[in-house]
Amino acid sequence: MSDHVRVLLIDDETVFLDSMSKVLRARGYQVGVARSGTAGLEELALHEYDVVVLDQRMPGMDGVTTLDHIRESHPILPVIMLSGHAQMATAVAAMNHGAVDYLLKPALVDKLCERLQTAMEKKSLLEHLPR
Amino acid sequence: MGAGRWMRRLFGRDRWRPVEVTKDSRTSLSLDYLTFKDLTTSNDELLEIIADIERKLEGGTAFGMAYLRNRTVGCATHTYRMIICLDKLSSRRYQELHVVFASMQKRLEAILDRTQPASPGTPRLIYPLSEVDSSSAARVGGKSANAGEIRNRLRLPIPDGFAVSIDAFAAFLGHNQLAGEIRALQLKREPDDSGGLNEISQQAQERITSSELPPALAEAMLAAYDELCPTHGSEPRVSVRSSAVGEDGEMSFAGQYTSVLNVGRAGLVDAYKEVVASLYSPQALFYRSVHGIPDEDLPMGVLCMTMVDAVASGGACSVDPNRPAAETLLVSGAWGLGVGPVGGTVSPDTWVVSKTGAREILTSRLGWKDTRVDPVDEGGVASMAVQASERQRFCLSEAHVRELASLVVMIESHYHCPQEIEWALDRQERFVLLQARPLRTAVGERTEPAPASQIDGHRLLLTGAAASRGCGSGVVRRCAESDDLAAFPAGAVLVTRHSSPQFVKIMERAAAIVTDIGATTGHMASLAREFGVPAVLDTRDATVVLAEGSVVTVDADSGGVYEGRVERLLASNAVAERKSVVGTPIHSILREVASVVAPLTLTDPRNPEFRPRGCRSFHDIARFIHEKAFEEMFRMSDRVTSATQKATRLDERLPYLVYLIDIGGGLRRAPSPCVRLEDIRSEPMSALLRGMMHPGLRWWEPRPISVSGFLAVATESMLSPGGGDGQRRLGDRSYAIVAESYCNFSSRVGYHFAAVDAHCSESRSRNYVSFRFKGGAADDGRRARRCELIGAILGRLDFQIERNGDLVNARLRKFPRDAMLQRLDQIGRLIVATRQLDMRLGPGTPIAWYVDAFLEGNYLFEPPGPQVQSAPAPEWPAGKER
Repeated sequence: MSDHVRVLLIDDETVFLDSMSKVLRARGYQVGVARSGTAGLEELALHEYDVVVLDQRMPGMDGVTTLDHIRESHPILPVIMLSGHAQMATAVAAMNHGAVDYLLKPALVDKLCERLQTAMEKKSLLEHLPR
Repeated sequence: MGAGRWMRRLFGRDRWRPVEVTKDSRTSLSLDYLTFKDLTTSNDELLEIIADIERKLEGGTAFGMAYLRNRTVGCATHTYRMIICLDKLSSRRYQELHVVFASMQKRLEAILDRTQPASPGTPRLIYPLSEVDSSSAARVGGKSANAGEIRNRLRLPIPDGFAVSIDAFAAFLGHNQLAGEIRALQLKREPDDSGGLNEISQQAQERITSSELPPALAEAMLAAYDELCPTHGSEPRVSVRSSAVGEDGEMSFAGQYTSVLNVGRAGLVDAYKEVVASLYSPQALFYRSVHGIPDEDLPMGVLCMTMVDAVASGGACSVDPNRPAAETLLVSGAWGLGVGPVGGTVSPDTWVVSKTGAREILTSRLGWKDTRVDPVDEGGVASMAVQASERQRFCLSEAHVRELASLVVMIESHYHCPQEIEWALDRQERFVLLQARPLRTAVGERTEPAPASQIDGHRLLLTGAAASRGCGSGVVRRCAESDDLAAFPAGAVLVTRHSSPQFVKIMERAAAIVTDIGATTGHMASLAREFGVPAVLDTRDATVVLAEGSVVTVDADSGGVYEGRVERLLASNAVAERKSVVGTPIHSILREVASVVAPLTLTDPRNPEFRPRGCRSFHDIARFIHEKAFEEMFRMSDRVTSATQKATRLDERLPYLVYLIDIGGGLRRAPSPCVRLEDIRSEPMSALLRGMMHPGLRWWEPRPISVSGFLAVATESMLSPGGGDGQRRLGDRSYAIVAESYCNFSSRVGYHFAAVDAHCSESRSRNYVSFRFKGGAADDGRRARRCELIGAILGRLDFQIERNGDLVNARLRKFPRDAMLQRLDQIGRLIVATRQLDMRLGPGTPIAWYVDAFLEGNYLFEPPGPQVQSAPAPEWPAGKER
């Protein structure tokens, strides 16, 4: 299921990016990384991805603003929001801005992969719908 | 309406029109399906979190604020996600849910906000000890407050010094934005992850020690230090000790935080940071977690006191903690600083002293003082060997012991409760008190223990000092404090060379503790008493005598360690129940959180309160949404409208004309006018259809019915005010919305409405089958009996059943894929087999017999019982247009 699924991780935490991309690659995902919201948007403009995993709190452009930009440029690209700061307000904001899911760090890999799969199913169905 | 026309309607002659589905409606159905999947996933995850919270409420497991925040946000996330999903499914029909949710969110945020209220006025960073007493605890922490109380109220000797305040701590954290960072670090750890605890501890401590002090704080500390110089020399050495709020109070925190000894001016700032960082030592994190204390509730003050040039040091307990009724107190001491005897690395001299009269020394025991700890010129302390002649000599004279005993009694009298004291004797042979805190003593009525003696069949292996009463038995596990204590097995007996407060990390799991060296007045003994772990200390050679893996019984009443498991001792000296977090601060917060999250009050959809405003908790919101979402899904096929794109007709012999709407991978073939069963890729739909097509159903044959039953059905349908609706439904097409792992099928044939919504895949946690049945053409009694029958059959198939009049709701969740498909097959058979049962289910019908008949494959329910008469042969559509 994960073969050839392209995941973009956007997070300013290098440790998280390194460890998560390693784990996801080991499970067959194709992983791209970006260390800021701006870098993430640039990466999305250059390459095609199936799902984005986006950190909520980043210096510069924060996660919710990045999410808004992604929604404009890639309306059906699923975005899963991650946060290391457990706050109800940010969870609600993320979902109001169109995140398909909101997970708290440390995201258990199995759970994240399950969410990636669900997001992929959704994207796949949306792509095959008549337009 | 004439009876003939009615009969034709009833038994299904219909002129089938082509059915078409618009692109828009197909899109809408697909999105609804995806939305519904999201909703049920969140519902499941929410209920799992609630179940976890309810387990924690039982009090058996420790947890911290990180757990509470994590789970609360998890609950809010899933609840809000369900609200958004229901908005999409219902075209925003339940907007009030947003208001209700926002109100609950606000309540939870208030509960979880543990921000310490700022001190009124300008923050004060430093307090000289001369200005501190027990009323200052909230401003300077427990240890400083006690030191100030002894100095200023009792006028007893305490070293000069100053307290670095709680405001200073807040300023330090704020200056470096440490609070949020540490909170985020803690969120990364699950409560039962002891390996993660070490990692979090290390990261938090590194972050603190590498941070800068606010310049004003550093200056204030150095200025306070400089004020000691006129009295104590140009560069006095100080001890920098933890003084957290709550420390040395009801809970001892004995040895959990760091003290840095023999610090000069240049090292003062770093020593302060080291002490603050010890707030996050693994053992301190564990200790707070077990005692249910939120980290944010215990900010760290620091006590700086001039070093005592100590000849000897040690501890004292104002009562024997294991014999609180005895009028005795305990003193222990060793050469040099108190690190050795109090920390547990030196076997100290001990004395038992009468509290009455002239402080008679009842017993004295010479310790094994082979090392001593002393300050060194370059700063810090070092351990060095004790000369042989000194080892053989008590570190205090009897006069000293009596003098110290008097000081101890004074302190106890002042505080009106037993006290635990640390002391030092300086070179001028003056006692100086270093700290005092409440002493935890044995609870309950216990007889005076007899000295350890031989027991038949069990060798007495060792004796030592009984430090924490009770009796425990288990397999010997030798450990050093530097070992990976996370691997310590539950129920084992810890055998170790030195006592150490580090062993707090295994105290929840250990059956007992035995050490070579250690004092009943030391830190670990205090902790063992707090945790209720039987402990025998100072046995001299437990690590030699007690073999790894052997079973021993530790009787910490008598101080004996026995070979094997001594049931008699275990029965009579059993340990009191281990600590529970019930009643602790963190448990109270959890209870408040749970009151907003967990209660389910909204149980009955018929109740007028079953509405958004009636929701009292997240659980209620989820229950409401779940119910309404299924209603929306059961209406799904109603939304198919005529337009441009054809639905696919199922070309199979069935009592219903079934149209399939594929919303993603449900059919093997490209859209075509009609398909066969083998063209259906949707596993749940295939299973359902296989059941409906089961040859044993013989639905195409005339069905025997009783005369009375037939008349009851016919009369009821003619008289019923709702009959018009039933007749409109007669012969309606049935629609199935299918995806690869999903089906949503509803049929309205005759007066019956049956709907199935199911997801079946290899992912067991997401699997469910939801079945709803309503109606019938008979009177209320017959309809209710049919529902009773259907409910009973589905109950035998593991479904959870809700019945309400002639409505049956049945749900099955999280079974493996194959089991789900098997249940769907049974539902298919049930839908068809029970279609005409109204006519047979008269009063007194043996429902149990019908249930057994169905489950045994007797779908015609033969023998039927009393006299029957054949009904007119139905003209069921065979799934083809005619």
